[in-house]
Amino acid sequence: MSESISDKLFTIRYKCDDVSHLIIKERDSCLKCAKKDCNYFCPSDVYEWDKKQKLTTVAFENCIECGTCRIACPYDNIEWVYPKGGYGITYKYG
Amino acid sequence: MARAGLSVVLLERGEFPGAKNIFGGVLYRKQLEDIVPEFWKEKGFPMERHIVEQRIWMMGKESVVTFGHRNEAYKQPYNCFTGLRVKFDQWFADKAVQAGAIPVYQTVATDVIREGSRVVGVKTDRADGDLYANVVVIADGVNSLLGKALGIHKEWRPDEVSLAVKEVIALPKEKIEDRFNLEGDEGVTIEFMGETTLGMAGMGFLYTNKETLSLGVGVMVDQLREKKVKPYALLEAAKQHPMIRKLIQGGETLEYSGHLIPEGGYHSIPPLSGDGWCVVGDAAQLVNFVHREGTNLAMTSGRFAGEAIVEAKGRGDYSRASLQSYDRKIRSSFIEADLKKYKGMHQLLKEQDPELLFDKLPHALNEAAYQLFLVDGLSKAQKQKTAIKLIKDAAGGTVNLLKLGYKGWRAMNG
Amino acid sequence: MLHLIVCIKQVPDSREIRIDPVNNTLIRQGVPSIVNFYDLHGLEEALRIKDEHGARVTVVTMGPPPAEKALKECISLGADEAVLVTDRKFAGADTLATSYVIAKTIRKVEEVWGPADIVFCGKQTLDGDTGQVGPGIACRLDLEQLTYVGKVVRVDPSSRKVTVHRFLEDGIEVVESSMPVLITALKELNKVRRAPLPGMIRAARYKPYIWTTEDFPDLDASKIGLKGSPTIVSKTWVPEVRKINGQAVGGESEREIAGALVEQLWKPVCRKNSGGHREGRESACLREEKLNRPPIGPITAACW
Ligand SMILES: Cc1cc2nc3c(=O)[nH]c(=O)nc-3n(C[C@@H](O)[C@H](O)[C@H](O)COP(=O)(O)OP(=O)(O)OC[C@H]3O[C@@H](n4cnc5c(N)ncnc54)[C@H](O)[C@@H]3O)c2cc1C
Ligand SMILES: Cc1cc2nc3c(=O)[nH]c(=O)nc-3n(C[C@H](O)[C@H](O)[C@H](O)COP(=O)(O)OP(=O)(O)OC[C@H]3O[C@@H](n4cnc5c(N)ncnc54)[C@H](O)[C@@H]3O)c2cc1C
Ligand code: SF4
Ligand code: SF4
Repeated sequence: MSESISDKLFTIRYKCDDVSHLIIKERDSCLKCAKKDCNYFCPSDVYEWDKKQKLTTVAFENCIECGTCRIACPYDNIEWVYPKGGYGITYKYG
Repeated sequence: MARAGLSVVLLERGEFPGAKNIFGGVLYRKQLEDIVPEFWKEKGFPMERHIVEQRIWMMGKESVVTFGHRNEAYKQPYNCFTGLRVKFDQWFADKAVQAGAIPVYQTVATDVIREGSRVVGVKTDRADGDLYANVVVIADGVNSLLGKALGIHKEWRPDEVSLAVKEVIALPKEKIEDRFNLEGDEGVTIEFMGETTLGMAGMGFLYTNKETLSLGVGVMVDQLREKKVKPYALLEAAKQHPMIRKLIQGGETLEYSGHLIPEGGYHSIPPLSGDGWCVVGDAAQLVNFVHREGTNLAMTSGRFAGEAIVEAKGRGDYSRASLQSYDRKIRSSFIEADLKKYKGMHQLLKEQDPELLFDKLPHALNEAAYQLFLVDGLSKAQKQKTAIKLIKDAAGGTVNLLKLGYKGWRAMNG
Repeated sequence: MLHLIVCIKQVPDSREIRIDPVNNTLIRQGVPSIVNFYDLHGLEEALRIKDEHGARVTVVTMGPPPAEKALKECISLGADEAVLVTDRKFAGADTLATSYVIAKTIRKVEEVWGPADIVFCGKQTLDGDTGQVGPGIACRLDLEQLTYVGKVVRVDPSSRKVTVHRFLEDGIEVVESSMPVLITALKELNKVRRAPLPGMIRAARYKPYIWTTEDFPDLDASKIGLKGSPTIVSKTWVPEVRKINGQAVGGESEREIAGALVEQLWKPVCRKNSGGHREGRESACLREEKLNRPPIGPITAACW
């Protein structure tokens, strides 16, 4: 994750759940997926392709709950729900 | 509904209403006034600045062509004003609570409960979490998982939504007033397009608040995906644009945020009501993206749904036929009229190469303006000719420019 | 049926507080108010006893009107009733005055809902941090006292006995006590539940009992609020990280060790610790110090 984005995310208040609200459905789809779009379009760098393990890692703790990945993953490979009520982000300004 | 004595539960998944919400920042007086009369006279009303000037900027690489309008007539009562959702949403929700609605926060509605074709309540993510009701008003915003659970819309396509990222930037009051030429509570809005979205269909905004600025950039998700640009890199680039850099200079970023905006327009609107349910606001794609109006459509559609449900209660009938009065209210209001007016816009944006509208034309405009104002010995007539040629070329010749103009006109008026 | 009373305090979530490096003051903007989380563990334990044996759970707090929100949270979790003790005259209370008022409140709660069997407090608060209020209440009400409780092993309503684990620095102490007893809760005590939906709805509708000084006719006005608070905070600052000069104190008998310890403690503390706001010993230090330099006004009013 780049310096600038971690600084940005630091401005948001998070209350993290212990379980992820974002789930990659099929590891195989990610293997097939040539462009790995999720590594780019996510505004909080949640997804990163791990070359060694050959899978998409999910830093769900960073998620700002925008919904883009659910819509934009070309393989419809992300199971997306909201974090548990009261968890996740809380903006101070909005 | 609460005012009419109905028993209402206000479900919100955030710590409080507003905790999860962002928007650019412009709220409209008229539609809020219909719900909370004379709200602006209230002492605790969380207004930031009322807008006296609106600017539109066409960005070149290091230049800008500006259009704008400032008018003292926008004051008293205000036409529109800026706000911040965390404060505004809490204020607004408290109005409902004061009227008798029961606030249940930090609770996600996870699914609708059905009996046959009728919706009879929602499931929540708490123990003993089923909540039964005569009518469920689906107001869960752009992602609308409830709307999907209900099956009224499938997933949005990437070309029906845009992703916006935003920063709230602190700047002393005096600096804001000086830089934007303001007095007291006056405010300015700037929308910008062109260079700042790197040729993608999208727009940026810079709005003045009391002691902060709201700066954001939004682009269509399909194009963002195509370009492989990180959304926050786009925002950073906008911050570096000389026109913007000078306005935000010295400011400190207080908060970063991101959110989707429904941009499907008229053709994406799902069915609005059925047996035991209504859908309002972003969840129903009720956003006028051409004029960045969304909150007002959400408020008004919410009000219409409320009124329709109160009437339905009078009849003791919550069926589709009975709740259709909500659809009718929308049909005969500005919501439908406005969204219909721009119904071709979405198509236009899709058919046209986004680079033309969001890259080439703004650039050509900037170049044309540059040439026009440059004193270099060429005659004014010659300059005008060059300027027009620049713009024509950008569009791909006269015929294309005319076509584009015609299509644009149709999209807005057809 | 058992009657369990839980004392809670609404505190700013200190995990969110940053200190303004220029003024050395707390930046409270955007910092949410929460129920002091040790207190929630106390409440949870009370609710578990309620689930197992059946009990009435009453929550009390002294604080400003917004503390109502904290009480509602307790109701959503399953408390039966909640009492907010609030009055401008209570403002500026230190631990002495706080425990006085809470003790009085508990007496009044007992008049309304019956005698208390167990009183729960948190180990300490996130803001005041002293950990003195619990023991203070126990003293005033003459209750048995079990501090630093990390586990409640058994509650026996018939023999009126409670067995707990006290987590101490050098190990775990298993103690049995008779009721009525005051327990101060550690976070190890349990995992706090998530409120069920009916609880959320009950809480949204619930209005806590509000008691002011007028509800306590026999209150001694000199023992409440600022007047009843001998502690003075003369200065607050961000402590610098410094080397610890540890020193072991030894001796033949316990008496000797204690003597050596007291001697060591009295000396340095009086010179260094002008910012402590604990009762007794350090107050005395402050008084000593005041002789040497002009007094700095108390800033207690800013507490809540
Ligand atoms: C900014 C600031 C300034 C302060 N200034 C002063 C000062 O000038 N002088 C001074 O003496 N103190 C001062 N205090 C501390 C004082 O207000 C204490 O917070 C208060 O007396 C309770 O002590 P405590 O928070 O340390 O509670 P602790 O003794 O740590 O609390 C233990 C437990 O007692 C219970 N409890 C504590 N308070 C309450 C309550 N109000 N209602 C119900 N139950 C409660 C809870 O169960 C809690 O977990 C200040 C605190 C702050 C944050
Ligand atoms: C960057 C940006 C700039 C914008 N600028 C403007 C502008 O300047 N002016 C303007 O008028 N409009 C603007 N809009 C549009 C406007 O914000 C929206 O149209 C408006 O907020 C829609 O309101 P809503 O109530 O339908 O949805 P939302 O405001 O999204 O509210 C939905 C609420 O439901 C909650 N929720 C969602 N799902 C659940 C669930 N399952 N259970 C419980 N709670 C749930 C959410 O937490 C949220 O509080 C902008 C939008 C964006 C993203
Ligand atoms: S875009 Fe979708 S399929 Fe491709 S790597 Fe990401 S999650 Fe996997
Ligand atoms: S919801 Fe938005 S922020 Fe969260 S992972 Fe998906 S794209 Fe990233």
